[in-house]
Amino acid sequence: MEGLSYKDVNRQVLRTLSPPGRFYYLLVGLFLTGVVYGASCWAYQILTGMGVAGVTHPVMWGFYLVNFVFWVGIAHSGTLISAILFLLRARWRTPIARSAEAMTVFAVMIAGLFPFIHLGRVWIFYWILPYPNQRNLWPNFQSPLIFDMIAISTYLTVSVLFWFTGLIPDLAAARDHSTGLRKKIYGFFSLGWAGTHHQWRHHGAAYLFFAALATPLVISVHSVVSWDFALSLVPGWHSTIFAPYFVAGAIHSGLAMVLTLLIPLRRIFRVENLITPRTLESIAKTIILTGLIVGYSYGVEYFMAWYSGNRVERDSFIWRAIGDYAPQFWVMVVCNSIAPLAFFFKKVRTHTGLLFGISILVNIGMWLERFVIIVGSKAHDYNPYSWGLYSPTWVEISIMLGSFCLFFFLFFLFVKFLPSVSITEVKEGLKPPLRGKEEPRGV
Amino acid sequence: MASRPELLGIFAHADALLAAISRLKESGGSIRTVFSPVPLHGLQEALKTRPSPVRYGTLLGAILGVLGGFSLAAYSNLQWEFITGGKPVLAWIPFVVVGFEFSILLGVLFTVGSMLIISRLPRFHLPGPYDPRFSVDRFGVLVDCREEEKEMFSSILRDSGAEEVREVR
Repeated sequence: MEGLSYKDVNRQVLRTLSPPGRFYYLLVGLFLTGVVYGASCWAYQILTGMGVAGVTHPVMWGFYLVNFVFWVGIAHSGTLISAILFLLRARWRTPIARSAEAMTVFAVMIAGLFPFIHLGRVWIFYWILPYPNQRNLWPNFQSPLIFDMIAISTYLTVSVLFWFTGLIPDLAAARDHSTGLRKKIYGFFSLGWAGTHHQWRHHGAAYLFFAALATPLVISVHSVVSWDFALSLVPGWHSTIFAPYFVAGAIHSGLAMVLTLLIPLRRIFRVENLITPRTLESIAKTIILTGLIVGYSYGVEYFMAWYSGNRVERDSFIWRAIGDYAPQFWVMVVCNSIAPLAFFFKKVRTHTGLLFGISILVNIGMWLERFVIIVGSKAHDYNPYSWGLYSPTWVEISIMLGSFCLFFFLFFLFVKFLPSVSITEVKEGLKPPLRGKEEPRGV
Repeated sequence: MASRPELLGIFAHADALLAAISRLKESGGSIRTVFSPVPLHGLQEALKTRPSPVRYGTLLGAILGVLGGFSLAAYSNLQWEFITGGKPVLAWIPFVVVGFEFSILLGVLFTVGSMLIISRLPRFHLPGPYDPRFSVDRFGVLVDCREEEKEMFSSILRDSGAEEVREVR
């Protein structure tokens, strides 16, 4: 970013809001079709009943819950980048923080849909909310499922507000840059921001507290998700390492998704000088760390299964490696723990094609990890009489495809309607214009 | 009553702006507002502002959240009085999760609320002296002045390197 002036940053970022080409509309149309198709399949499931999904005894938690955990995981790197790295003053985060936060918001929204889809009788979802009622029925606040509902809704609220608070000064910049109806819309959402020193002072303090509150939140949310499993007595789930294991996995998948989204984005919008190869390299280095933690957790799970002396637990883990879901297990190990090791080589982590390829592998691996844990453990429980396999139906696969389309659809709208790189934070990372110094060279 | 005049100096350079602020303060000028495209380092120190009171909002929200979370869980479990998993009706350890999440939620809501209230946002109209260049690469300082001080403050602003000085009411 060296050599950029404040004006260049405004010009470059706000240029991404200019009317898009035909290719953009084509992709948005394609994703929208996928969303409508997924929604229709959900409607079909509501009308027909849960029998259209493949979940049945013994695997009552199938694709929907796999996708729920996957999307919550994707959401985690946004807060990692925007809150934890903000507190650690890691400057490489600035150009990617905004899109990672947007990714978080969309991923949590989609994750939140899956329990509803899994619910069957979705119209009575409000029974889970604590509200006074004539029957005097209340949700059970000792249940991890209620913890989960509270944690995910808190996370969604906090991520939306964190994202919006950071956006306010940039929306003001977009307002000042545009005319007509756009000016009015950006003006409305920028809340009349004028960049006064009072506003900056309170905004800065609020942002810092946001980061301080979001940091423990992000760790708690995936810990709570992991307790959905760990607090039960199912072999393969009932483990004390689940919380840190899930948090590391979540960040691993989220960082990979950041790479998957940003590598095409920086090229399409020609913001290579803002989202630099150094930024991508820093993400890759962090992926090495999370990949090693995830690989270590896989090892510890096996160690504990053996060292506990519990026959059921041990059998469950042997079956995981050589049983019916062994292919998924081994693909998971290769994608999550072995492929990211290639990032130890500078040539790999500075090559955008390889970065993109490995990020896709990690996404696939992390999705399979949830499949192996959720489906694999339910399929091979204590009693051999109740063992059974699960395979998804076309309805479950379609709804999953719809969820991916919804994610990309929302992300595509975001990059065209909102500043996808934080103008304020990028400028903060530059030297302010000083008198007597030569003006920075334009781009 | 006619409003007092104010002088707006527009600067292209951050160090010139900071120099102008310190010279204006030395000359007894009362600085009403400084506009800036970024939170400028050294600006709050130059203006001798106090730490933002937003933190009290955050603290209040977080405390209310903890109390609210624990109270809600305890109240609803007492209504239901149903023993699950062999735990007592008032099982405080699981309630920690509820209390924790509520403390973050209310802490954040109170932080946003107090930031907006203290910053007097949302506003439907931008302040009169606001210039759209302030969101790009220009800095502005708005200083209160009496008629007799106008000349002096104006020359301080220009001497410090202001590109433009104008009177606003």
